[in-house]
Amino acid sequence: MDRFQNLLRRIGWAVLTIAFVIVLNFFLFRILPGDPARAGVHDPRLKKDAVEAIRVRFGLDKPVINCFDSLNPIKVGNCGVNPLDTQFFIYVKNLFIGEMGFSYHTNRPVTDILVERLWNTVLLIGAGQILSVIIGVLFGILAAWKARTSIDYSALTISLLVWSLPTFWLGIILLFWGSANGFPIGGKATPGMSSMPLSVRWGDIAQHMILPTITYTLVYMGEYMLIMRSSLLDVLSEDYILTAKAKGLSVFQILRDHALKNAMLPLVTVIAINLGFTVAGAIQIESVFSWPGLGGAIFEAVNRRDFPVLQGAFLLIAVAVIAANLIADLTYTYLDPRVKME
Amino acid sequence: MNKKILYVIALIALVISACGGGGGTAPAGEEPSGQEGSGGTPSIVRIGWAGSPDTLNPGMAVLSESYTIFELVYDSMYELNMDGTFTLTLAESATVSDDRLVWTFKIRDGITFHDGQPLTAKDVAFSYNLYQSTEDYPWMGGYTSYFESVEATDANEVVITLTEAIPNIESQLVFLYVLPEHIWGSESAVEFDNVSMIGSGPFKMVEYAQSEFVHLAANKDHFLTPPNVDEAIFQTFENNDALVQAIKTGQVDMIMEMPATAVATLESEEAVEVFVGAPLSPTVTDIIFNQVLPENCPEGDGICTGHPALLDRNVRLALAHATDKQKIIDIIYLGNASPGLTLIPDGLGVWYNSSLADYEFDLAKAAQILDDNGYVDADGDGIRDMPDGSRSLTFRVNWPSDSVDGPRLAELLSEMWGALGIKTELQSMDPDALTAVCCPAFDFDVMLWGWGSDPDPNLLLSVMTSAEITTGSSETGYSNTEYDELYAQQAVEPDFEKRKELVWKMQEMVHDDVVYIIPYYDPNIQAYRSDRFTGWITGQPKLELSDPSSLTIIEPVK
Repeated sequence: MDRFQNLLRRIGWAVLTIAFVIVLNFFLFRILPGDPARAGVHDPRLKKDAVEAIRVRFGLDKPVINCFDSLNPIKVGNCGVNPLDTQFFIYVKNLFIGEMGFSYHTNRPVTDILVERLWNTVLLIGAGQILSVIIGVLFGILAAWKARTSIDYSALTISLLVWSLPTFWLGIILLFWGSANGFPIGGKATPGMSSMPLSVRWGDIAQHMILPTITYTLVYMGEYMLIMRSSLLDVLSEDYILTAKAKGLSVFQILRDHALKNAMLPLVTVIAINLGFTVAGAIQIESVFSWPGLGGAIFEAVNRRDFPVLQGAFLLIAVAVIAANLIADLTYTYLDPRVKME
Repeated sequence: MNKKILYVIALIALVISACGGGGGTAPAGEEPSGQEGSGGTPSIVRIGWAGSPDTLNPGMAVLSESYTIFELVYDSMYELNMDGTFTLTLAESATVSDDRLVWTFKIRDGITFHDGQPLTAKDVAFSYNLYQSTEDYPWMGGYTSYFESVEATDANEVVITLTEAIPNIESQLVFLYVLPEHIWGSESAVEFDNVSMIGSGPFKMVEYAQSEFVHLAANKDHFLTPPNVDEAIFQTFENNDALVQAIKTGQVDMIMEMPATAVATLESEEAVEVFVGAPLSPTVTDIIFNQVLPENCPEGDGICTGHPALLDRNVRLALAHATDKQKIIDIIYLGNASPGLTLIPDGLGVWYNSSLADYEFDLAKAAQILDDNGYVDADGDGIRDMPDGSRSLTFRVNWPSDSVDGPRLAELLSEMWGALGIKTELQSMDPDALTAVCCPAFDFDVMLWGWGSDPDPNLLLSVMTSAEITTGSSETGYSNTEYDELYAQQAVEPDFEKRKELVWKMQEMVHDDVVYIIPYYDPNIQAYRSDRFTGWITGQPKLELSDPSSLTIIEPVK
């Protein structure tokens, strides 16, 4: 019962955080300079009437917030307007009914754009995460078990090296290498294959994923390896490991039954945080390999003052990060029952 | 014992390589470019570009990438040729009344849309009226502003009545694509995403994936220019290195843009041909001087904080003499651009006043001009001062933060003008913030920006008229009643030669007054693979390999 209440409290905090993000998101983009109705377009053909019509269509002609006369001594916002007819209220109301509005730039529903891009990002970054976790953890285990041998030192050197490589640089190098070796270097699929059978299309997507996935895996596996190694080293120096060894257990048994569960704790935190940010995509990798993911969408939206897309994307990222952290907390209690949810 | 771990690693390595290998072998017949046109395999031309259309709704589109696709999928009344002239396409004849106010177009018989429905005069009138009446369309208002009425008098005849006897109806109609009324009639003009894109042009839409690709198929039944190729695919590469690498390795057959730094690399490739030319819609990079006079400062919007020295033509002239355009071009475009004169670019062909002699780069002369007019360093701090000593010649220089060349241009100007004893304060600004200080606020000294041009000079000539000071189109605040009169005259001068004379005279005036310094006209740098397709249109005043003029006639290399 205590545990259940704690869980509820956690979820409550998560919901509150999301509510805060919703409010912050709205004001964050509106204190930026610039007029989304013009979106940086400077052209004599863009008539005042057209700008005005665009403003009305996106509700930008409405007051941003009501000033709430009685509550607000400094009178921020527009006073004397109907609070239900402000941009802020309409924004919150639409969110509750699942409406994120239309992109200023492409004129498409934000939900459509985000869903399309999210799927691409999850595909790419998901594959990269899984690979980097597996490889990183395995190398970490190997290095820790073989601590202070040449295996350890080489694993350590490689991990530090790949971890410190700039992502875009590694991406460009792989792009040059890959294009010379016949790998596709742009996009997520070869255009014009929509009539092909599904298996062929998936094969094509897999081929397009190779270079960006290698880039992602290389960059992240070093981090996981280093954390795994140091945390496992700590555990392996414990007395109970010595006891296990004395009992004549095999390496596999010691690692599986005694060491790994404890050593995994710090890694779970890092993986959870990284998974949360996975949703944001990897802007650098996505732009090097022209991968149509969320990172690219955010980058483009920033350039074009596309507030609805930015609001939607930021909300999505916030929810993902908060959810990932919540899951990490829950996983903690499973991995180590001593950890109580405070 | 440790072997077990090694086994696991080996197993995982195997799985990974199997995944990679599986991906590598799965797609059957996946030649990056199917260039064999004969024997069943369709000939597909693959084009790489750095952008993607913003929307396929012709009224709503802002980006030039959208227009590239519209040109291929739709027809309009006129087609713009690579030498800057126009060809009548949809109509077999165009006649104009004596007062030049009523135009009658006879639409050709037997033109059909991609869905098989006939294209008639009704569709033309419907489209023009839609463009004119939809206020939300950002560009269309400008092209339809002279329409009094547009009517389909019968199935083949469209009558356009104008409010003014404009001499350039072609350039007004060239971007007004004809839409099928049977589809658009029942859609919301603003919200319709038009992804199925039924047009009548030489190519038809197959599939569109935003920010990924546009897949077009040939319309072999096109009434004028049925393409030789079977399909055309535009693929987006978000970075230039990938674009260059894609053509080098044959993943694409043509690229529509590339950085000047890649020209030498690609020229050394045997199968790649690189071309530099004026874009279809030329763009101008300009150095803008705030020269709005206090009495012209827009009421309400105007802040007008420009440096008083810039009101003096002598100071602007000295700056022009101190600007080494060739050096700027050599550094920014590695020599692949032409030096500019006025806002009217050489890409506009006959409208460009090629008789003007530019101010030569001569630092001594520039210094002499400033000395003669009293702009000397009075307080000995190394910076010249106003003749009355009230303030030093320190200019704010701003440019849009999304400009790739802006920072380098600013640095170069700072160095060149610095040698003259003029101080510059360089700062890039967000494009919106720049618009806010620009015009009609006039809250700046010098700005580095640019213009995109219509095929007709009227648009860019209008930018320098007094009437535009309050609207925000005039970025200099230049005001010259003689110029304004000439502008009004050329806007209604029906005789081509006479109009050309007026347009040339106007360029001479703004060049004499040093309204702007134009460092260069932006080039279009494109490349194609000579081992894939042949017949690309090059060697014309304008260069656009993605234009229907090229894409409809290219053929696979035998």
